[in-house]
Amino acid sequence: MCGIIGCAGRGEDTLDTLVHGLSKLEYRGYDSAGVALADESLDVRKCAGEIEDLREHLSGMTVEGTVGMGHTRWSTHGPPTDENAHPHQDCTGNVAVVHNGIIENYQSLRDELVAAGHTFHSDTDTEVVPHLVEDALNDGLDPEAAFRQAVEQLAGSYAVALTVAGTESVFVARNDSPLVLGLGEDATFFASDVPAFRDFTDQVVYLDDGEYARISPDGWEVSDVDGTVVEKAVDTVSWDPEETGKSGYDHYMLKEIHEQPRALRQCLRGRVDELSASVDIGDLGDLSPTGVQFVACGTSYHAAFYAAQLFQSAGIPAQAFLASEYATSPPPIGDALVVGVTQSGETADTLSALREARHRGARTLAVTNVVGSTAARECDHALYIRAGPEIGVAASKTFSSQLGALNLLALATTRSDEAREIIAALRDLPGQVQELIDDSDAKEVAEHYQDADSYFFIGRGHMHPVALEGALKMKEITYKHAEGFAAGELKHGTLALVTEDTPVFATTVGDGEQATKTVGNVKEVEARDAPVVAVTDGQSDIERYADHVLTIPETHPRAAAVLANVQLQLAAYHTANFLGRSIDKPRNLAKSVTVE
Amino acid sequence: MSVRTAVVLAAGEGTRLRPMTRNRPKPMLPAANRPILEYVFDALIDAGISRIVAVVGYKRDRVKDYFGPTYRDVPISYVTQAKQLGSGHALLQARSVVDGPVLVVNGDRLIDGATVASVVDHFEEDQDTPALAVIERADAQRYGAVDLRDGDLVSIVEKPDSNQYRLINGGIYAFPESIFGAIDETPRSDGELALTDTIARLIERGRVRAIMTDGMWVDATYPWDLLAVAREVLARGRVVEDERADGVWVDDSATVHEDATLQGPVVVGPDCEVGPNAVVGSNTALGDNVTVGANATIRNSVLDVDARVDAGSTIIDAVVGQDTTLGANTTIPGGPADVQVGTDVYEDQRLGAVLADRVRARGNVSLSPGTLVGPKATLHSGVHAYGHVGEGVEVVR
Repeated sequence: MCGIIGCAGRGEDTLDTLVHGLSKLEYRGYDSAGVALADESLDVRKCAGEIEDLREHLSGMTVEGTVGMGHTRWSTHGPPTDENAHPHQDCTGNVAVVHNGIIENYQSLRDELVAAGHTFHSDTDTEVVPHLVEDALNDGLDPEAAFRQAVEQLAGSYAVALTVAGTESVFVARNDSPLVLGLGEDATFFASDVPAFRDFTDQVVYLDDGEYARISPDGWEVSDVDGTVVEKAVDTVSWDPEETGKSGYDHYMLKEIHEQPRALRQCLRGRVDELSASVDIGDLGDLSPTGVQFVACGTSYHAAFYAAQLFQSAGIPAQAFLASEYATSPPPIGDALVVGVTQSGETADTLSALREARHRGARTLAVTNVVGSTAARECDHALYIRAGPEIGVAASKTFSSQLGALNLLALATTRSDEAREIIAALRDLPGQVQELIDDSDAKEVAEHYQDADSYFFIGRGHMHPVALEGALKMKEITYKHAEGFAAGELKHGTLALVTEDTPVFATTVGDGEQATKTVGNVKEVEARDAPVVAVTDGQSDIERYADHVLTIPETHPRAAAVLANVQLQLAAYHTANFLGRSIDKPRNLAKSVTVE
Repeated sequence: MSVRTAVVLAAGEGTRLRPMTRNRPKPMLPAANRPILEYVFDALIDAGISRIVAVVGYKRDRVKDYFGPTYRDVPISYVTQAKQLGSGHALLQARSVVDGPVLVVNGDRLIDGATVASVVDHFEEDQDTPALAVIERADAQRYGAVDLRDGDLVSIVEKPDSNQYRLINGGIYAFPESIFGAIDETPRSDGELALTDTIARLIERGRVRAIMTDGMWVDATYPWDLLAVAREVLARGRVVEDERADGVWVDDSATVHEDATLQGPVVVGPDCEVGPNAVVGSNTALGDNVTVGANATIRNSVLDVDARVDAGSTIIDAVVGQDTTLGANTTIPGGPADVQVGTDVYEDQRLGAVLADRVRARGNVSLSPGTLVGPKATLHSGVHAYGHVGEGVEVVR
């Protein structure tokens, strides 16, 4: 899904209007973005990255025009590079096009255009359109007729917009992709969705399939396929555009926590076969590593830490490193495969660590959410977690999908006697996360402890990275002190901080040695009057020592880590919400950290 | 002004469908292997609606999580009806987010795009006069029955005592914006505001046009009706998976063992796995990520998302809820049966069993025809279950 926006009549504010509109369409995707502004000449600026990156890219530049259009992209095919970002241009640089949808016959059109001497700069289907327009202009057609002639050759779905230097107009057409006009007092807009221009007008005209429109500083006109002017009804919208992207939730983060069953389904789709106990994660070459070094930051580091445990349990030496340290103080690599875990694929510290590893001759693999991101392109291999766009700055669904994908990596590259049980547990995860969300008591727990001084999180084995992630989430969005520990480590120092005002979240599953020992650690904190929140599948007797219990469904310990983490996400979210924090954009934090 | 916005009423639980509605409202129950509401949204979009307002209430997160901010690229706004005080009250919740004429549909019945388009087209000829879809049904007394004269509604009666009616309110309405004021002026009865009460008042004061339609109109009243709904959906081929053979629809991401047999009509959803020598169908729908073990037989049944049927089981005439696991050699031999719901007995229903969400049957469990099992119940090995097993109950031999 992509988003498009355009305007005419905004004068000097044209660029700001477009960038503002794109930010409102961010929920439709944000891995690359661009704008085109036209007056006598045409200015096109675009780059890979979020809308913020485009904003930065544009700062200090003079980009002028009286009409313009913009585009934000979420790629599923073709990497989010500067070249693949919209707008796309023709050979002369006088024509610019943005497009949402799929042009099914682009390959044959492209072949013809290349044969006729056109040069293409991107991998996109969209780029055929500006070249078709270029040909029509060369045949002497005016821009509007050229646009129609080009669009008539397209098969597939599109909301497409064109501007040409010197015309002071934008031409749009719609077929099977959404497109709506916005009518301001002195300006006209178009967009994939109303929120893009809702701050400027509430008067809208919905285009129908097969319709064309022309907007200019002087007004607007809609016509049909034959060019006959169509009388369109003008509707008034009174609703709040903020709501659209959040599906009616107060915050993107809660929406994204709730999306985890779907994200996990996407992560696993077509990759696991339980009945034959096999995993297929595509063409990663001959990856049977004798050692694995993971590099990552923040939440991704916790996923990497968990993944290192998976390889260790398969008898393969594996370690997780903080990418910022690895880049400057790398360990001996030997034959190890170096795996970078980064949601955005653009994390500067992780890229730097991966480059250091490549420089030393290591094979590298990126585990990322963004198709064709820098990490994916620079590494020898890429494994996509397929979580879909995540808007909340604090990672939630992408952590779960990272754990899912890293399990697939471990299964695909190592031998395991338990493969079938693990695959079954992974396949059960979407339904179990749904069960947990349906029944969670995390809100009550959060309400009870919202005034605590500090929060501690403990766990053993796979629950150790979960404890670290639980604490990070609590810090990020509540601005309160929180720390995660290996359960056995608490008594070696931190116990001095434990008081009746420091709740301890203790996570354990099963009734084996790990559970017994964790229960022992819980007794230590209980004896210091600290409130205990047990996150458990109910198999051990931890509930006897707990003040509150957050229940997770019974499953394999690997999958239990995902479930336990969802409870801790909900606890952090509700605590931050009771405290009135800026949950989706916590202070001082950015979604993808592109500086070292 | 044309009708662009549709308000979908999806706030009610559908209490007669318990225990299937423990975790989700009726519109999210499966019609074959997709939620009922998805068919409603499809019908609206097929009819040209470009914005959907969903009025949600009971277990609303499940609606929002499934559809998200857009469906088929059409934006969805969600408004909440905190207490379910009738369909008129539900529609009022959408007042602040709609402008101009509006289409209103019930979110809990299967309809098709042609029916919706027909109501919209007739309404657009005269936008001051409300219009509603009217459908002929033999069992009209179960629904909102209507009488017509010269194409106009003359009366509307909810669940009439007499069986003289043949026409019902199809639950698809087109209204001018003034409908909100008309609901405001309607007196509440027992604290509730029914949209049909407002329509009855509109008939007294002016005209309400009746648009006769004969498109798909399928409703589920009781849990076992989900089997008939699935049969109808499959008979009409209203599934989105690829058709591999006549009446056999299988999603690309599903794995069906080469020695398994699919007997159409049958639909196998995304991520499903069907083991060797299993026989699935006919009249069977498998939702997303369903697992069918080796040598299992499943016929005339609906298995909802994430359900598991282990090796050697026989499942006939059964509704199986989300994430329910039926251990090896579970036997549900099928109807007919007298089904007891509360104090009412429904005689001679073709029903093997209804198992709600997250039931665990450990293995070698058998269920008498007509058994209802509540959510999160556990049937331990070797149990023979019958009658009604409550939520969370553990049954041991």
